[in-house]
Amino acid sequence: MMLVGALIVLAAATFIGFEASRSLRERPRELRQLQTALQALEAEIMFGTTPLQEASDKLAGQLNSPVSLLFSEFSRRLEEQGETTAEAWQRSADGVQAAGALTREDTSILVEFGQTLGRFGRSEQQKQIRLALTRLSQAEASAREMCSRYERMAKSLGFLGGLLVIIALV
Amino acid sequence: MQTAQMWEPVKHVLPARFAKAVEEENLTRGFEEIRLRVGRAVEVSTGRASCFLSPEAGDACFTAQDAAETLERLSRHSVYAYEDEIRQGFITLPGGHRVGLCGRTSVTGGRVETIRNVSSFNIRAAKDLVGISRPLHAYLFDDAWLNTLIIGPPASGKTSLLRDLARSASVGMNQPYALPHKVGIVDERSEIAASVHGVPSFQFGERVDVLDRCPKAEGMMMMIRSMSPEVLVVDEIGSEADAKAVTEALQAGIRVFSSAHGASLQDARNRLMLESLFSRGAFERYVVLSNTRGKRQAVVQTSGVTS
Repeated sequence: MMLVGALIVLAAATFIGFEASRSLRERPRELRQLQTALQALEAEIMFGTTPLQEASDKLAGQLNSPVSLLFSEFSRRLEEQGETTAEAWQRSADGVQAAGALTREDTSILVEFGQTLGRFGRSEQQKQIRLALTRLSQAEASAREMCSRYERMAKSLGFLGGLLVIIALV
Repeated sequence: MQTAQMWEPVKHVLPARFAKAVEEENLTRGFEEIRLRVGRAVEVSTGRASCFLSPEAGDACFTAQDAAETLERLSRHSVYAYEDEIRQGFITLPGGHRVGLCGRTSVTGGRVETIRNVSSFNIRAAKDLVGISRPLHAYLFDDAWLNTLIIGPPASGKTSLLRDLARSASVGMNQPYALPHKVGIVDERSEIAASVHGVPSFQFGERVDVLDRCPKAEGMMMMIRSMSPEVLVVDEIGSEADAKAVTEALQAGIRVFSSAHGASLQDARNRLMLESLFSRGAFERYVVLSNTRGKRQAVVQTSGVTS
């Protein structure tokens, strides 16, 4: 009986460790995707002058989850109306954070960018996108470093933590 | 145009509490202008009178926040997509309503770059008066459409008449009998066709091509070169280049419907740039519109002789 309990604790702790390491790996990937997405948005704005809702629809179709969620949700919210652009963007960004590996700092870059979205002419809008891109790529670099430093550690820490709990309880 | 079709696009743009007030006051059909000014009550004018709205709930004034949100809705959350429109000072809504904008302009190199902090909106209802040109058809068509200049003061219905004439030419008529013609409209200020994304909001029949927001003189030449119109419609001619382009069109055998500001025929004639057209007898018919005590009247003249 005790053995079964110990095994469950160990499995759970290992799982938590693997999850943590997975999200460490996922975060730079998602940040990279966000940059690709914003670059595509920039192209839509600069060359197509496509209104945001249509541009978002297009992007949602081109991207992978969870970043695609940002745009599909944003487009849906704009269509529904009743929210300002910044609100709709912020709620969509929160949704992505919940669904993926992004941290609060990452979403705050997005939210800040959202305050400017759709409020300026093309050239100014482009500057805002560039600014957001720079900040996202900085975040990506730090996320990569975190990943290389802690990814394997998170895995073993999970397993070892499980062992520690078992020993402490026994 | 259906009332719902007319009101819906405006309702969508207005802050909700003011839209509700307009509906409660039963003004959705009758309004001519709705004026939104930051820090002031919202004014609705019906042509005969104007009143200020007092919404049931919320701020009675139009706030700066309202203005920002109204611009967002107007530009479909994408100001960058409406840069040209904002620079020219108006955005055309579906259904042909025009929203004039005022605020702090930002100027680069002596040119208005954009309007920031838009503080006043003027929503002007588009009224599509189908059939107003009918009483004039007998005078303006004689085996072929005659080159016509419509003269009138502002708000006397020049553009509405021009629009209806363009429609009559494109659709064709029974009385007098006229086949549908190919009609080209050069719509510099988007007033004749009220195009949204290049597609006219008004019904013109099958045979109309619209060159939207194109400078008149250049647009007329483009039309002549590439679209082979039989009738060319252009609003508010006045410059030398316009006169030249009209002459060019006439030489190509194209019929021209146009309009010019002026209280009378003589008034329009006095304008230097138009004089050359007058003296050459470019136009065969002049329609002089007057707007006295809200009554609109049209008088047709053939080069000075009333008929």
